[in-house]
Amino acid sequence: MQTPRASEADLALVERLRTHDEGAFMEIVDRLTPSMRRVARMFVSSDAVADEVVQEAWLGGLQGLGGYEGRASLRTWIFRILVNIAKTRGQREARSVPFATLAGDDLDEPTWDPAAFDRTGVWSTLPFDWRGMPDERVTGRETLTVIGHAIASLPPMQAEVIRLRDVLGWSSDEVRNALDLTDTNQRVLLHRARAKVRAAVEAHLRSVNP
Amino acid sequence: MSIDLVCREVVELITAYLDDALPADVRSAVETHLAGCDGCTTVLEEFRQTIALTGMLTKEQISPAQRDILLAAFRGWAPG
Repeated sequence: MQTPRASEADLALVERLRTHDEGAFMEIVDRLTPSMRRVARMFVSSDAVADEVVQEAWLGGLQGLGGYEGRASLRTWIFRILVNIAKTRGQREARSVPFATLAGDDLDEPTWDPAAFDRTGVWSTLPFDWRGMPDERVTGRETLTVIGHAIASLPPMQAEVIRLRDVLGWSSDEVRNALDLTDTNQRVLLHRARAKVRAAVEAHLRSVNP
Repeated sequence: MSIDLVCREVVELITAYLDDALPADVRSAVETHLAGCDGCTTVLEEFRQTIALTGMLTKEQISPAQRDILLAAFRGWAPG
């Protein structure tokens, strides 16, 4: 599987960082830190330690900037530094978090209610179809609130994968590399997360349009 | 030999399908199935719309306190 390479924008940003451009640094800090903080928090015991890990990762990134060759996107590269520091720190705290706790223990189960299908696997109850509903209802602020809550209630790794992929628009390769996941796990986590968010949207739209 | 997929299988392949991550024969089996299945087409379109809606969520912001700390760290690394 191919590693996502740096974009022109990445290389330009790195040049600015190398010339000590404070604005460039704060630009990328503002963009990435909220996600970095949550990812760090998966592996360590408190918000305070997660903040330290984030700071350490940024400093490590700045100090290692000379070694950045653009073989990975800049955000993937800084997340790799972060995840390594966070895992080491978690081990030192003797806080070993099982993958199932982060990823959810339902990864092998079907995402769709098996009762919706007959014995042969064909729909016996057709899925709820919201496509005929008024646009302003489907895409309204309330729906977005429902989606935000649905994501917040996912197991941490599912939540992070859907945030990076669908809120922030990262590619599957970037997310897999950044979070140190296999290609398959990245996709399973994303599919499960999306299925739950879709189900939450369905429940919401059913309730407003009985 | 062509692959025959049922609805229960197709709904589990939607994310891989949208990522264009399926082997060619499975991808074409999904497309053949979708062409003749309203239920699965509904699910596919609703996934697409869910993804688009998720992309409309507000991006989170860093706390001012943490921003200050990181700015100070940068200035320590790159003294003016």
